[in-house]
Amino acid sequence: MHVKKSDFKRQAILDTAYRLFRAQGFDKTSVAEITAAVGGSRATIYRHFRSKEELFVACMMAAAENYLVGTLKHLDASHADPGVALRNFGTSFLSFICSPEQLEVRRLMVAEAARSGTGKLFFDKISTLRAHVSAFLSACMASGTLRADDSNLAADHLGALLEAEILEPLLLHVRDVSPEAEEIALAVKRAVAAFLRAYAPAGRQRRPNVWRVPPPVEKESHSGGDQVCVGT
Amino acid sequence: MKTKTEAKRLAILKGAADVFREVGFERASMSEIRARIGGSKATLYNYFPSKEKLFFEVMYHAKERELASITHTLNPDADDLKEELLHFGQRLLAALYSPEAIAIRRLAIAESRHSNIGKIVFEGATLPIEKQVAEFLRKGMKGGALRTADPKIAAMQLLSLLESELLQRVLLGVVSSVKPEALNSAARRAVETFLSGYGRR
Repeated sequence: MHVKKSDFKRQAILDTAYRLFRAQGFDKTSVAEITAAVGGSRATIYRHFRSKEELFVACMMAAAENYLVGTLKHLDASHADPGVALRNFGTSFLSFICSPEQLEVRRLMVAEAARSGTGKLFFDKISTLRAHVSAFLSACMASGTLRADDSNLAADHLGALLEAEILEPLLLHVRDVSPEAEEIALAVKRAVAAFLRAYAPAGRQRRPNVWRVPPPVEKESHSGGDQVCVGT
Repeated sequence: MKTKTEAKRLAILKGAADVFREVGFERASMSEIRARIGGSKATLYNYFPSKEKLFFEVMYHAKERELASITHTLNPDADDLKEELLHFGQRLLAALYSPEAIAIRRLAIAESRHSNIGKIVFEGATLPIEKQVAEFLRKGMKGGALRTADPKIAAMQLLSLLESELLQRVLLGVVSSVKPEALNSAARRAVETFLSGYGRR
């Protein structure tokens, strides 16, 4: 595989910037310092990133992008039971966001969001990641394994259900130890079960425990105009 | 070291509250607060070691009481469970997304590694709300309006759903305030999703 020299450089900048920002915070880290540590000139950094803010957000979100986009690519919406794919994704997602490294990234993101105007940039990155989940849910809705609804809203609800049991005590440092695989599996199972009940196709909603695949339900015709993303 | 007095402590809290209200948490400084109340910087720091701690003292306790009063409005004997949850959800979001509550929340997350603010918020606000909601849902399950499940887990899921559309936007400062209509409709969508997951049909 041919990897361009500038990709190597970009990755080196991201790694160094991440290390320095993590250790010192946004304000105390300068582009000059990053330049000195990574080698090259300030112009090189600005060729890859428009501003210090953009570099900060890019290096904080790089791991999430690599990991989550990698996981999301394998989601298969063609299955009759979307639960399998959702549980796989949920397990991966929850293990990732509950790692000490990612919890610290999240704290730093919130700490710096108000201070240096990077919040909007973070939010845009997160929205891009969420769009992959929405696309999967949207495909399930189109094939009739989930009921037709706003797929962005469904993605928000899925994310919230996955985080519901575990995230906050970790984020607030009330709990120090990251969850073991069994705890994550249990939380994911309950979250996905609640999600699937809530977003089940109309024909299946009356069955509280769908552990067998029911006979195919008729697809609801989807009046394309109602997928309006709700903004604030 | 001079002894601390309650009167002085209250005077500092009062002065700090004024400054925070006028210029906001981000722009408020310890020097400005000191200028407002008089006395030396050393005295101020003797009472409160940082702007964060001081802000937390000023803001948190009032907020804690407000949140507690909201959960107590959940009436398990109400006729319409959905209406009851909706009303609760809307009031909760309105309280959580006030500028002061957002600032407290940010602080709790950002400072959790260096102070006990995260723990205080979790134990003083998150847990009691969760408990009240779980109790309400437990009665709903017992009365047959909701399917039987672990009420504590259901409570955590409901609370997380209520914030699902707005939390990230608010914490990241993408929106500085959320309109009541937007809060209400987010709460409605969350309650509907929750009830299609837990309602008996």
